[in-house]
Formats: sequence, structure tokens, C-alpha cells
Amino acid sequence: MRILKTTFTNIKTNKQLFFASVGTITIALSILGLFLFVYINLNSVLSFWNNQVQLIVYLEDGISEGPKKQLENIFSTHTEIASFDFVSRERAWDNFQSMFSEKSTFIKGMGFNPLPASYNLAIKESSDRLAFIQNLAKKLSDHEGVESVEYGEDWINRFETFMILMRVFLFALGALLCLGAVFIIANTVKLSVLSRKDEIDLMLLIGGTPGFIKIPFFLEGIFHGLLGAFVSLGLMKGIHLYLVNQFQGSLESFGRGMEFQFISPPFIGLIVLVSIFVGWLGSFLSLQQFLGVYKKT
Amino acid sequence: MIQLYNVYKSYNNTPALVDVSFIIKKGAFVFVTGPSGAGKSTLLKLLYRWESFDKGQVLVNGINVGKLKFNKLWQLRRHIGVVFQDYKLLQAKTILENVAFALEIVGADKKTIRYKAWEALKNVGLSHRKDAYPMELSGGEQQRVAIARAMVNNPKILLADEPTGNLDPEMASEVLQLFEKANIEGTTIVFATHSENILHEGNHAVITLKRGKIADTRLVV
Ligand SMILES: Nc1ncnc2c1ncn2[C@@H]1O[C@H](COP(=O)(O)OP(=O)(O)OP(=O)(O)O)[C@@H](O)[C@H]1O
Ligand SMILES: [Mg+2]
Repeated sequence: MRILKTTFTNIKTNKQLFFASVGTITIALSILGLFLFVYINLNSVLSFWNNQVQLIVYLEDGISEGPKKQLENIFSTHTEIASFDFVSRERAWDNFQSMFSEKSTFIKGMGFNPLPASYNLAIKESSDRLAFIQNLAKKLSDHEGVESVEYGEDWINRFETFMILMRVFLFALGALLCLGAVFIIANTVKLSVLSRKDEIDLMLLIGGTPGFIKIPFFLEGIFHGLLGAFVSLGLMKGIHLYLVNQFQGSLESFGRGMEFQFISPPFIGLIVLVSIFVGWLGSFLSLQQFLGVYKKT
Repeated sequence: MIQLYNVYKSYNNTPALVDVSFIIKKGAFVFVTGPSGAGKSTLLKLLYRWESFDKGQVLVNGINVGKLKFNKLWQLRRHIGVVFQDYKLLQAKTILENVAFALEIVGADKKTIRYKAWEALKNVGLSHRKDAYPMELSGGEQQRVAIARAMVNNPKILLADEPTGNLDPEMASEVLQLFEKANIEGTTIVFATHSENILHEGNHAVITLKRGKIADTRLVV
């Protein structure tokens, strides 16, 4: 209790410094949080689109029943394939016509069917799904009776690379901002320590243990970090609510079932833990430096 | 209780203590005297390891002071009460809180702190001013608060650096009585002063320093 009181007296005597420090940490964490927010939502968009990914196996026109059976066998032996659907040339043509007939009399007037028959495969979701699709596509395209295999290869690849880059960027940014926060806290705690030098001297002189003397300053640093974390999380929750309110409708039209994701609890926990660590480290560094002076004499 | 063997100490190459050796037995009362700048304060600071020394050996309460690590200094200092020449009172605390602070630091419980701090203030005749801040007191009164704080933990050793420097002769002699009383109760006392009156009044051993050297020792007459 007394230690807590000391901590808050420390903070009170350096009020401006305290607000500057907590403010900077809040800004740093908010920047990090915003990027995290963007990342999480892009990720959810990715997995949403991922669900829509179909593998379409186009068949040669003259394919006989034998290779078709073989293909269907392959489909049913892979547990990763949720379902497959045979689309005959006629069905494909019907679909095509019903989609475009109103718009184009040209299509109606066409006397032959240019579309191939195909199998549409739905792939179950898994972490190595993309690799699986790529492998399967390669295997199938060499199969007898298969004309070509198609899936949204290119842009999925690009999107995934982008997400990996984003992850690296987030990590680097996070490390940089945390480092900055450590120095800010170290500086604040250092000024707090210096402004209480007389008291620390006295505590040492009348037999206070270094641990006892350090605790209020550790608490101060950790408090700075935690407060910064909570304020920035609150800020981000506010932004999230605003986005949901303003743009949920347009997001729905973009893809059904899509919604803005807030930073998930594990990430919130991580932010809080990191802020505690950052606060502790900041205090540790300045105390180490300060008490080092005593050790030398 | 306190043993020094051939101790040398200098500040940036100017010697402050030169080849100082003596033994102070448990329960003894010893004056340290000498002109200003002779090294009295320096000598006391070595005993509670506020200053380091260059050569020699210092043993206090069985602890080899020269070898003591920073993290263990409190083990030495908890057995030593110090009245600092500049008092070192915390301005933001009342004088009762100042005395209580010494008890809090060693982890005493709340009830003990309240009782003992008040007792210690009463002992130096300041209990009626317990809620005053150091700035509101005279130099002599502040000095007595410092004495109360040094004594409140019942240390084995009391080091006093000019504890009567700011007091009129009458008050000085009262303060001396406080130390005499503590000494009778078993506390070892090292008392730095350059007041002839005090030296006469208390019939104790005297170590006289001159420019860092022991110039004279007087045993009890
Ligand atoms: N921190 C310091 N840095 C440099 N020199 C110092 C320091 N403290 C003391 N000295 C020097 O060491 C010598 C002894 O000082 P000290 O304070 O021990 O004397 P003293 O006997 O206590 O004097 P006084 O009676 O005035 O208190 C003096 O010459 C002083 O200038
Ligand atoms: Mg002195």
C-alpha cells in the first residue's frame, strides 16, 4: 500500500512528464494497433475469398467415360476435396445463356456450343490449402482427357505474399515502436528518480534494500505502459465501432457474412503484456544506470 | 565493534585520512574531534560505507566494510544509526513521518511504527510539533529530529556528526544526555564534535584528527 502511494506521489510530482510519456506510448501503440487492425481485417477478407476458391477442371470435348471415371476416383480419394460437381457442355451452355441472353442477341444466334464440360471442385479449408490446390492442379492438368485446370492462382499468390510482407512489416514496426516506448519510459523514470535523489540517498543510508527502493519506480514504468495500452485499445475499439456503424452495409454488399474484425483477445493480451514488459524494461534501464553510480564509489 | 587498520582515503588525490588505525569496543562512547576539514565526517562516512577508502581494513559489527557489495550494504546500515551533519530530513514529510520513515524502510508494522516514532520524538522533546514540516523548525529542532530518527531503530552503533553544532550550550548538553542514555542502554557511540564544552562534559575517550591523521588519543580520565 505504502509502495503504491509512493508510486502515485512520484507520478503526481511529475504530472506533465507523466502525461507526455503516457501520451507518446498511447500514440505508438495506437499506430501499431491500427496496422494490426488493418492486418486482421485483410486476413479475414483473405480467408473469406479463400472459401470461394474453386478448382475448375476443363475437359476435352471428346473425353470418354474411362478417364472421367478415373478423375472422379481421384476426386473422391482426396479428403481435402469437399465436393465435386460435373458440369456437362450443355449445362455450361445453359448457364452461360441464362446469364447473358438478355444482354446479347449475338449469343442466342450462335448455332454451336463453344464451351467445354468441366468439374467444379470445392476444396476444404486448411492451412496448406493453397499448396494442395497447386499440387492437385499440376497433377490434373497432365491427366488424360483434361484440357486445362483453372483457379485464381495468380492473385491468391500475390495476396498471400502481400500478407507475409505485411506480417514482417508489422513485426518490424512493432519492435521499433516498442523500442521507442522503452526509451521514453526510461527517460521519464530517470527524471522521476533524479527528482527524488535525496530521498533515495536517505533510503540507502538508513538501510533500505535496493529492491525496496526500486519497486515504486518499476511500478511507475509499468503503470505508464499499461495506461498507454488501455487508452490506445479504447481508441481502437472506438474506431472499430465507428467503422461498423458507418460501413457495415457496404461491406455486406461486397461479400455476404463479412464484418469488421476487432483485434482478437490473444492480440489484446499480447499488447497488454508487451506494454508491461516495455514499462518494466524502461524502468530497469534507468534504475540500472542510476544505481550504477553508487556501485562505483 | 569498530576496527580500523592503516586506513587511507583521498578525494581526487587530496588525502582526507592518512594511516588511521583504532579499535572501538562494544558499548564504548568515543568522541572524534579536530579542526574543520580534519576528516571527521569522512571517517564516519567510511564506517557506514557512504564513502569508499583506498587502503587498509575497516571492520564494523563483524562486517568487512571494504568488501561489502552494493546490494548488501543495507545489512551493515541497519545496525548503524547516523545523525548527519546536514540532517537529511525529507522536506515533503512531517517530522513524525520523517522519523517513521526509518521504521518503514526496515519493514516494521504499522502499529509499531506509529508508537515508536512518537516515542522517539518525545525523547527529543518534539512530540508537540509532530505535524510540523522540517522547514517550519529551527536548526536545532531539525537536528533533534535527525537524532530521533537515528535512534528510533535501536541501532547497535550510533554515529553522530556534530549533533550539537546548532544548539545553544544548554540544549547541547541535553542532547549529549540523550546519547549518554543510549550508551548506558548498550549502544556503541561515535560522536564527532569540535566543541570543547562537550568534550569536557562527557568524560569519554577522544580521537583527535589533524589533516587526516590521528594527532592524539585520550582515554577516559
Ligand atoms: N565529497 C568530497 N569531495 C572532495 N573533497 C572532499 C569531499 N568531502 C570532504 N572533502 C575534503 O576532505 C577533507 C575532510 O573533510 P571532512 O568533511 O571529513 O572534514 P570535517 O572534519 O568533517 O570538517 P567539519 O568540521 O568542517 O565538518 C576536507 O579537506 C574536505 O575538503
Ligand atoms: Mg564534518
